[in-house]
Amino acid sequence: MRLERLTAGVVTAALIAALIAFSSLGPKNYAVVVLVWIAINAVLAAGVRFVMLIGEVNIAAGTFFGIGAYAAALLTTRTGVPLPLALLAGALAAMAAGAFVGWVTLRTKGAYFFLIMFSFAEIMRLAATQTLAIGGNDGIIGIFPPRELAPWFPTVIVVVCSGCLVALWAAERSILGKLFAAIRSNDRIVQTVGINVLGLKITCLALASLVTGLAGGLQAHLNGVIGPNDFTVALGVYALAYSKIGGEAHVIGAVMGAAFLTIVGQYTAGFNNLELILFGGAIVLTMVLFPRGLLGLVWVLQSASSADRRARVR
Amino acid sequence: MLAQLLINTLQIGALYVLFSLGFTLVFGVMKVINMAHGEFFAAAAVVTSFLVGLMTMQLALPSWLVYLAASIIAAIVVCIIGALVYLFGIRFYIKDLVGSFILSVGVLLVIQGAVLQGFGGAPRIVPPIFDGTTEIFGARITTNRLVISLAALLITFATYLALQATRWGKALRAVAEDAEAATLQGIPRRRVSFVGFMIATLLAALAGILTISLAPITPAIGEEYLIKSFIIVIIGGLGSIPGAVIGGFSIALIESVVGAYWDPSIATIVMFALVIAFLIFRPQGIFGRAA
Repeated sequence: MRLERLTAGVVTAALIAALIAFSSLGPKNYAVVVLVWIAINAVLAAGVRFVMLIGEVNIAAGTFFGIGAYAAALLTTRTGVPLPLALLAGALAAMAAGAFVGWVTLRTKGAYFFLIMFSFAEIMRLAATQTLAIGGNDGIIGIFPPRELAPWFPTVIVVVCSGCLVALWAAERSILGKLFAAIRSNDRIVQTVGINVLGLKITCLALASLVTGLAGGLQAHLNGVIGPNDFTVALGVYALAYSKIGGEAHVIGAVMGAAFLTIVGQYTAGFNNLELILFGGAIVLTMVLFPRGLLGLVWVLQSASSADRRARVR
Repeated sequence: MLAQLLINTLQIGALYVLFSLGFTLVFGVMKVINMAHGEFFAAAAVVTSFLVGLMTMQLALPSWLVYLAASIIAAIVVCIIGALVYLFGIRFYIKDLVGSFILSVGVLLVIQGAVLQGFGGAPRIVPPIFDGTTEIFGARITTNRLVISLAALLITFATYLALQATRWGKALRAVAEDAEAATLQGIPRRRVSFVGFMIATLLAALAGILTISLAPITPAIGEEYLIKSFIIVIIGGLGSIPGAVIGGFSIALIESVVGAYWDPSIATIVMFALVIAFLIFRPQGIFGRAA
């Protein structure tokens, strides 16, 4: 078991190193561009999955992503704050928003939490379209990383996103993850032991919003242009689809789902209406045929091959 | 002025209620948030308006017959789609909030894409079925809108009566209240779920059919209704039928009051603010029970 863990760790580290090396080909390479999108989507999906550890669905993930993007973009375009500080500020702004919103909304659970977050995402989008100070409907344009950094920006994104994913994985493995699992199975029992359940739920949403906001800041500087309609509920819906289709059991599932659907999205992007049908069809088929997602599929293959081996030994 | 406000509320609210009724019913019986509900509505509206246009051009039939035939065909088409969605998808995700949500988002995308591909995205305008305007207590409303609102109210009332009095209605309410206890009483839960889903689909289709002469019809109209119905069920309580009625008319009242004096987007912001305030003080809605 220990050997397997070690192997998994080494393989993951090698894979991340390989992707970082690959991303150094620069922003002109199409495959690198897709890789960067996958990295950002994976963080978004892993953030949604992180909140699912306490059993709630944060459909407003796109809003926290947007808060990070707007905060970072406003700082770099209007005040000339250096990029790393701006990204950090964006992440912290998203975290603060997550903590505050969670303080209000996490008193509800399940379907009500889901619907209130949906409403929150919609009201924030509407408010952003009406707020001229942050560009209203037009949003913000001309958001670029510093010129000397531009060729290396994909590498920066891959490094930061990998860091976020590993951090979420580590948080899940720590005592915090065990507490979240306990809350998910029965929060009243956790409460009776004297643990501050609401506080932990807020912590969970705030941590997820922190990484989501960081990814949002990166996305803003990658895209150059942002507007209120880039951060709708649809983003949360896609993030949820990534993590569900990849498989909820592990962070890797979120990465696999993001990679799969981002690549499917590249192939269907030219077809307009067919894009909707193919993307939706991919979601429906995965949900019906592989209810545990791509991870479930991997496990089925794995257990089939190990059963094979056992049979051969006999 | 007051009469006009009430009439406006009635005509906006009647269709909201009809739409939300099916949405809340599906949640009540299966604990499923059906994101495709709006697409059933939109598909019915697009198909009906397409058929009305086609039949008026090709056949020399009286207009009431054209509307009736188009409505029946559209309702049947949408019910077949609904049955397929249930049997090949939703059935496996009963009581799974996240799973059923993602699955129905997939269905939403597929139906929206198919409707766009089949009928195009251009708005369709259908002439009113009834001409003229009617005056009630000094408030004016087009006869067309009045008849359609009354039809929506009638369907809502009939559904309510059916849920109260018939065997299937009682079975549906029993499953909504406590699925395990209902199963112990010998109520066939799966069949009841299927019937509930089909009733909801039909209600969405009927709401869609009723809207065709009220506004330009595009494949995207479902989403607007869906988001409104989220707010309605939060206010009324998820799964509650009387809640959907009260929630629907409250939202319609806010829309007609705020919309009459300010911008419609302000009306939407006011609604969301109301919802958030509402959830802080009463998270389970007016008629909902604590989850």
